[in-house]
Amino acid sequence: MSSETDTGRGIGGRVSGAAGRVGGAAVDGLSTVTEPVDRALRPIATVYNRTLGGYFGEMNGLQFVLLVGAFLGLVTIPFWGNYTLVQATWLACIWGIFAMSWDIQSGYTGYISFGHSVLSGGAAYTTAMLLNNVNAELPMRITIPISVLIALIIGLAIALPSLRLSGPYFSLITFVAVLIFYRLIRPLSEYTGGETGLGGIETVYSTDPVMRTYAFMIPMLLIAAALLIVARSNIGLILVAIRENESAVEAAGINATKFKIWSFVLSSIPMGIGGVLLAHRFGTVTPGAFVVVDNSIEMIAMAVVGGMGSILGPLGGAFLVIMLEDVVLSGFESEIKWSILWLIVLLILVFARDGLFRKLWHGLDRLGGDRR
Amino acid sequence: MLESILSVLILGAMMSAIYALVAIGFTMIFGVGGVLNLAHGGLIMIGAYAFLVSTSSSVVGSIAVPTLLGLVIATLVTAVASYVLYGGLVRYIEDNVVITFLSTVMVALLLTELIHYEFGSSPRTLLPIADGTLHLQGVGTRINYMYILGFVVSWIAIGLLWYYVSRTDEGRSILAVSMSERGAQLTGVDLESVKSRTWLIAGALAGLAGVFLGTLQTTSPEMWLNPLAIAFIIVVIGGIGSIKGSVVAAYLIGYLEQFTLEFLGTGYQGIFSLVVLVAVLLLKPEGLFGREFAHE
Repeated sequence: MSSETDTGRGIGGRVSGAAGRVGGAAVDGLSTVTEPVDRALRPIATVYNRTLGGYFGEMNGLQFVLLVGAFLGLVTIPFWGNYTLVQATWLACIWGIFAMSWDIQSGYTGYISFGHSVLSGGAAYTTAMLLNNVNAELPMRITIPISVLIALIIGLAIALPSLRLSGPYFSLITFVAVLIFYRLIRPLSEYTGGETGLGGIETVYSTDPVMRTYAFMIPMLLIAAALLIVARSNIGLILVAIRENESAVEAAGINATKFKIWSFVLSSIPMGIGGVLLAHRFGTVTPGAFVVVDNSIEMIAMAVVGGMGSILGPLGGAFLVIMLEDVVLSGFESEIKWSILWLIVLLILVFARDGLFRKLWHGLDRLGGDRR
Repeated sequence: MLESILSVLILGAMMSAIYALVAIGFTMIFGVGGVLNLAHGGLIMIGAYAFLVSTSSSVVGSIAVPTLLGLVIATLVTAVASYVLYGGLVRYIEDNVVITFLSTVMVALLLTELIHYEFGSSPRTLLPIADGTLHLQGVGTRINYMYILGFVVSWIAIGLLWYYVSRTDEGRSILAVSMSERGAQLTGVDLESVKSRTWLIAGALAGLAGVFLGTLQTTSPEMWLNPLAIAFIIVVIGGIGSIKGSVVAAYLIGYLEQFTLEFLGTGYQGIFSLVVLVAVLLLKPEGLFGREFAHE
């Protein structure tokens, strides 16, 4: 995936260093098993690397197995998954979109936004308000583009003033954007429905049972592909350069602000699509489920679990978190479930700050291929 | 009209003093370590619940100490919690700003869930330390004695803190670190101990604030978010790292909120302070008293 970030000092560094030494021994043992797999799949991977690798990045046989396996498992889920799993998949696809969109802006440029729930919430509210205040019969082909457009406008409205600031100040002002948006809902309850929210949105249940899952999965896959292409292009490179050393980017004659605004555009559009999908998933839009800052924090948590700055990492993180939440830990009481979840995220932050999926990917990189 | 203005002036002064308590700890931690402690609201919550547990006989066992002792216990418990948060977590990750503030958010959320689990989601009422209200005949308003106590305690705490950071060597080393970490180290200041002490003090202030906020507003698992937002707003307006700025901005925001509450109703509460915040961030991002230490 993308650049390796500083593993850092402190506990995390020391522990992962120790893990690295143990891992080194394990790698030698493991590679005897995995080498045939890697070698067998190398030709296919090579064909892929020659044709599409330029767009999505090159990989070895094992990484190819992981990606294709995950993809096939995902696409066929309506046929083998039980109902709980399928429903969790819908949500995971939407949150995957959120996490990836957050990542292209915050993970890549290092300008950590706490305001992304406003973008998805804005799109969802636009859909709901169009249906409730304008005409309940408006077809989706009208509401969806308008909602995404509003998300883009909100994104630019947040980006233009806030990008004058950097570091924690930027995070604070995006946090404030959420609070303002949230607190405006109540005084404007005539149009927004206040705390109870708005209903009357066509839900996923009105579509064909098999197509339901794909209604969420296809947008997710398209967005993943698009963001991956952008992230691996020169634009992605510049965004990473802004994260690592913004003055160097400016010194190279590149207008960093312009690219930061572009990152917001790249992020707002899929956020809007995700917000609309979430509105159609539940049929009602409430401030508690769509706007509150917890939503932004959850996106960030997913991206961090998977590995910030890698697009596919946050996507994996979203699936991991949602599956933990809705399938694995669903038996526990809500408080216990969330406590476990936040604890896991905290541990990953401290001990594996590059993210689980980045670790996995680099692990496979060392196992297979040319053993660099 | 005149009466309501007077009542706003008085109530605003009381509320602002408590807001100052909330904000000072937050700003000190940022000033010294460059750490954005999003668990600050969580510490305030710990203060409120520690007070609840130690003073109310119906919560855990039949422990019920006098309320004034409860205030002391809550302050100590929160100070220790803050110290442990630094020593057990933040110390190891503070080199990375992003990881640090994400981790502190996780700590805050974890705390919320645990308190939710232990004490339930419904708001609790704290026993007031000073019961009853003061009736001001001339103004025609009633002031809860807790407000007055909060005002007094807050100013005592601020006075003590001021004495500590400007008159004692230990306190001055805290100021020194927030001015220039490198410079302080070169003059032989022990960075670790300064940071630990700052977290301890910030925790104690948060504990105090927690008891007053918990009594006057609500004590519930969601109570961490509002004080945190207020601390944010105040600290950014006052200038991150500046104690004086926090006190001034606390009064600015406290009065603004009281005015909105009195003349526009609860619906718009909080929105104006956010608008002021955005204006300050855009026009004067370093805040009113930003980098005050570096100039003195």
